[in-house]
Amino acid sequence: MRIYQWLDSRLNLKPVERTLLDEPIPGGASWIYVFGSATLFLFLLQAVTGMFLAVYYAPTPDHAYDSIQFIEEQVTFGAFVRGLHHWGASAMVVAIGLHMLQAFLYGAYKPPREMMWMVGVVLFLIVMAFAFTGYLLPWDQTAYWATQIGLNMVGTVPVVGEFLMRVMRGGEVLGALTLSRFFAVHVLFLPALLIGLIAAHLFILRRVGPAGPWTDERASLGSETFYPRQVYMDAVVMLVVFAVISSLALLVPFPLTDKADPSDTSFVPVPEWYFLFYYELLKYVHGPLEPLATWVLPMLVVLGMLFWPFIDRNPVRNPIKRPAALAAGAVFLVVVFSLLGISLKNLYAVPRVDPAIAKGRALFYQFGCVGCHRIHGEGGAIGPDLSFVGDKRPDREWHLKHFKDPQSVSPGSFMPKFPLTDPQLNELTSYMLSLKKTP
Amino acid sequence: MSEHQRGGEEGGAHTPVGTRRTFFGWVTKVAAGLIGLGLVIPLAGYVISPALKRRARPWVDVGSLADVPPGDPKQLDHVTTIQDGYLKSQSQKAVWAVKQPDGQVRVFSPMCTHLGCGYRWDGEERQFKCPCHGSVFDIEGKVVAGPAPRPLDLLPSKIENGRLLVVFKEFKPGTREVVEL
Repeated sequence: MRIYQWLDSRLNLKPVERTLLDEPIPGGASWIYVFGSATLFLFLLQAVTGMFLAVYYAPTPDHAYDSIQFIEEQVTFGAFVRGLHHWGASAMVVAIGLHMLQAFLYGAYKPPREMMWMVGVVLFLIVMAFAFTGYLLPWDQTAYWATQIGLNMVGTVPVVGEFLMRVMRGGEVLGALTLSRFFAVHVLFLPALLIGLIAAHLFILRRVGPAGPWTDERASLGSETFYPRQVYMDAVVMLVVFAVISSLALLVPFPLTDKADPSDTSFVPVPEWYFLFYYELLKYVHGPLEPLATWVLPMLVVLGMLFWPFIDRNPVRNPIKRPAALAAGAVFLVVVFSLLGISLKNLYAVPRVDPAIAKGRALFYQFGCVGCHRIHGEGGAIGPDLSFVGDKRPDREWHLKHFKDPQSVSPGSFMPKFPLTDPQLNELTSYMLSLKKTP
Repeated sequence: MSEHQRGGEEGGAHTPVGTRRTFFGWVTKVAAGLIGLGLVIPLAGYVISPALKRRARPWVDVGSLADVPPGDPKQLDHVTTIQDGYLKSQSQKAVWAVKQPDGQVRVFSPMCTHLGCGYRWDGEERQFKCPCHGSVFDIEGKVVAGPAPRPLDLLPSKIENGRLLVVFKEFKPGTREVVEL
């Protein structure tokens, strides 16, 4: 407090404090107004975790993957910091979605707040650009192939598409130049742009003031200062958001897929969940209609969102008296969420691999089994070929006994006993049983 | 609206006062503090941890015991893979191995204890000689002449299945005591 007084006596801080904290909120503080602050908080969290990730990250194809693996496995809290950045990105999309939904429902885009809405839509597009450029940076298979698809979609735009795609890629192929420019855009260009536009968004907010309730009766209750009640609500929501993201970062690991391999065209990438609805849409549109989905429709939606304050000219803010606008919004949401739902259902309908099999497979390499046994052409030829051992020996008990003591069920075998724990025994057996002609 | 007071300064906006105001301020501070702690601790560990990690010094196979002739020092290559963050590189050093009458082997660090120059074995005079400032050591590593402050530094070594294994270390040159770097 003393320091504050010392500074205040020199810098005259009291008026600044009053401007910041005594902002009048029409109709009083409310939990419905927290989404903007939550988005801003998430942006700051992304900025901080991003800066720290940059401490170890190397934006070149020969080091990017290894440097992220180093963060994941060698750096204390490395997986946590990367997890915060990963889940923070998803949370940011959710927060922006809710913030826009609230602004839409409350008619907060109507005069005199058209510019605030438009800057907001641009901010949303920048966040999507963040997501697209950030996705490539780990340089794993998912990153590489998802970006490849995204760039190809840009290429379908008529006349300028090919040129645009090449500029984004930095050349003929997706490679070193693409990675370094995506990195620069993700960590330098976009943040600068975003900070500038956030400032503009907040400046407009302070000039025109928050919209407040849609009915005049509630607004006539009078306004309340931003501090302390709205600040308290914002702070509580930020803490909850932080707790959720931290828990996800700690509990849900987000491992890398294999290192990017440009020659492996069999890899099927799946985009992040917030691009899934669009990914699903593209499945339904083929042939000459494809450009309709890859760029005509997205462009119309973006333009529609951007100029929405001028399309919906009804001055009333009460949602009950705006059936047309609300119906348009509802149709948009129903389409997006149906596509997302179908996409998620399809993804989870794919037969899931028993995690024990993957673990058993890892053990197979870890214990050097591959030195003697061959599976589909890979490995030594000293022991029996195990490519289809699941067909030959379908009995689980046999494998369990055999791994504990090979000679007990297979007299004369010179396979050594391995010091396997019980879970490891089970995992290795699951892997053996999965090796079949027909899965 | 009994707990609300009309503040005069901002065009008549309500603002909570008294214990309610204190409570909101307090919750805000606690939330900010928790978020701050939740970030500062992991981020500090994140930045500091690799800086404090000691480089692992593994046992390295430098050759067969049969390659070291009894009575004559032999220079052997000591090749290690160095993990530099996410980069791996090979480091090649040479060490001096001297077979003892009892079959054991003593391995000397290849750096002169004076200022860290590489010394060589003079087979005729049966002495290790450093070309930089003329330090001379006998086959036991003891200082015979020159400015070297201490005998040649011994490296940990062991023999397994007829192979000689050595851990490479570096020591501070120019001091009487042996100080590992």
